Amino acid sequence: MKTLSLRNLGKTYFDPYAGAHVTAVHDVSLDVEPGEFISVVGPSGCGKTTILNMIAGFIPYSKGDILLDGKPVHGPGPERGVVFQSFALFPWKTVLDNVGFGPKMRGVPKAERDRIAHEYLALAGLSHAAHRYPNELSGGMQQRVGVVRALANNPDVLLMDEPFASVDAQTRMTLQEELTRIWQERKPTVIFITHDVSEAVFLANRVVVLSKGRVLDEIAVDLPRPRIWDDLVRDDEFKQLSARVLQMVRAA
Amino acid sequence: MQLTGSLKGRSSRLMRSVNSLAGAAMFVAPLLALVAVWAAVVPLFNVNPRVFPSVGAVGTAALDSIRDGTLFAHVGASLLRVGLGTLIGIATAVPLGIAMGVSPTVAAFLTPLFRFFSVLAGIAWIPIATLWFGYGFGAIVFVIFNAVFFVVAYNTLLGVRTIPHTLRNAAASLGAGRWALLTEVLLPGALPNIVTGIRTGLGFAWRGLIAAEMIATNVGLGYMLFVARDFYRTEVIVFGMIVIGVLWLLIDRLLLVPLERATIERWGMVRRA
Ligand SMILES: Nc1ncnc2c1ncn2[C@@H]1O[C@H](COP(=O)(O)OP(=O)(O)OP(=O)(O)O)[C@@H](O)[C@H]1O
Ligand SMILES: [Mg+2]
Repeated sequence: MKTLSLRNLGKTYFDPYAGAHVTAVHDVSLDVEPGEFISVVGPSGCGKTTILNMIAGFIPYSKGDILLDGKPVHGPGPERGVVFQSFALFPWKTVLDNVGFGPKMRGVPKAERDRIAHEYLALAGLSHAAHRYPNELSGGMQQRVGVVRALANNPDVLLMDEPFASVDAQTRMTLQEELTRIWQERKPTVIFITHDVSEAVFLANRVVVLSKGRVLDEIAVDLPRPRIWDDLVRDDEFKQLSARVLQMVRAA
Repeated sequence: MQLTGSLKGRSSRLMRSVNSLAGAAMFVAPLLALVAVWAAVVPLFNVNPRVFPSVGAVGTAALDSIRDGTLFAHVGASLLRVGLGTLIGIATAVPLGIAMGVSPTVAAFLTPLFRFFSVLAGIAWIPIATLWFGYGFGAIVFVIFNAVFFVVAYNTLLGVRTIPHTLRNAAASLGAGRWALLTEVLLPGALPNIVTGIRTGLGFAWRGLIAAEMIATNVGLGYMLFVARDFYRTEVIVFGMIVIGVLWLLIDRLLLVPLERATIERWGMVRRA
């Protein structure tokens, strides 16, 4: 397991239509412990996706550093798994082959990567869908595959950008519970971006509030695990934490 | 990329074969109607056979050419040329289209050339092809290749460009290198457009073939039509035209449609026809 740290990270885009530079991320520093679950919240346009894309290596950064175990990261790599809001499953691959894609890239033989994929699909209750194509699945199922595909590659860091935003409320709760359960088993480092304050508190050890490209504040969440919605909706500490985070986001 | 989220219909096998029978009937009915009109009109107006043949005369011409084997010689020669030219065209056009799709520099450099040559693709090359390859096989295959190449390359380029960028990112963050990106993402992702390109290109090629065979050879369907004209054999001409049309339909139904069913339709990347 590796420590992820952002040091004075900044990103300035050039907007060719406006002919102007836009600074999306001013100065963000953050140290993430191995196995920590961090939620990032903040108003629309505060730079959440930009930060995540820089950590994933999809876009270059303009200033500062992103270090994984002290080494700077440039470009995408399998030690940083990504779960996309739009699922980004390969339509031409079955669920099984989508999940086995990471292992395949590592050169794991077919039989072994099928075994791995089946194991992870079972973890997400998707064994019955192994041989279907993504277009034959519901949105919630597709996103489960997206999460499991990233996990099956055993990343040190799991990056998630509003992964549950496009599924219905009930499914979202189930996915959140499943995610905490799986996270407890495998303990990857997670950076989870969301607009949903209660989702952020429900999932995380620590909630980071962003505002206009800077870290506004951080709140530790020490709620016991496993976390179940049926318990937490009545939990006073959960309600208080959520209210505090909501206040900060609205003030941001 | 269009993702239609339709669950596969679990209709029984029986229903499916009834459906496909009905589909075939719907397809054949207009053609039969046309033949019926033709069978009625020719005797009714006492049409001169040098202008247009009767159904019976065409039938006889068909039987004759089957019996003496000339039909198979012509069809075989034509199919071989189309098949070879098309394969060479696809094999060269797809890699080039992908190169253009991934490299803006290559695309920028080649796009004007493509604009220029796509209008010339196919039959405009017949004269110079006969100078290069002589009359016969080489010249015709070249014309076919040429007709297929530009369309397929251009559609491959479009296909690569329409692949959502998140899919490339997903592959890269799962550890895909350049080669894996090509084989696992770009090729299958561009396949819907490549198939469209092949279908359009084959259409051009088929027309180009007939034109080229009229000029540049002594066997093949185009040649069969052209020679029949010299002897006012309209029944042979019309029979040849029917063969050309039917062969095209067969290529489409037996080759292209099953290919689409097994791939891009299964993956939900196009609407089911
Ligand atoms: N490619 C780009 N070119 C120019 N400006 C961009 C680009 N991408 C993002 N921006 C700008 O950077 C800022 C931050 O965008 P970002 O997508 O990171 O916000 P976000 O916090 O993820 O917002 P949301 O919650 O709506 O997803 C915005 O002002 C946005 O307009
Ligand atoms: Mg965003």
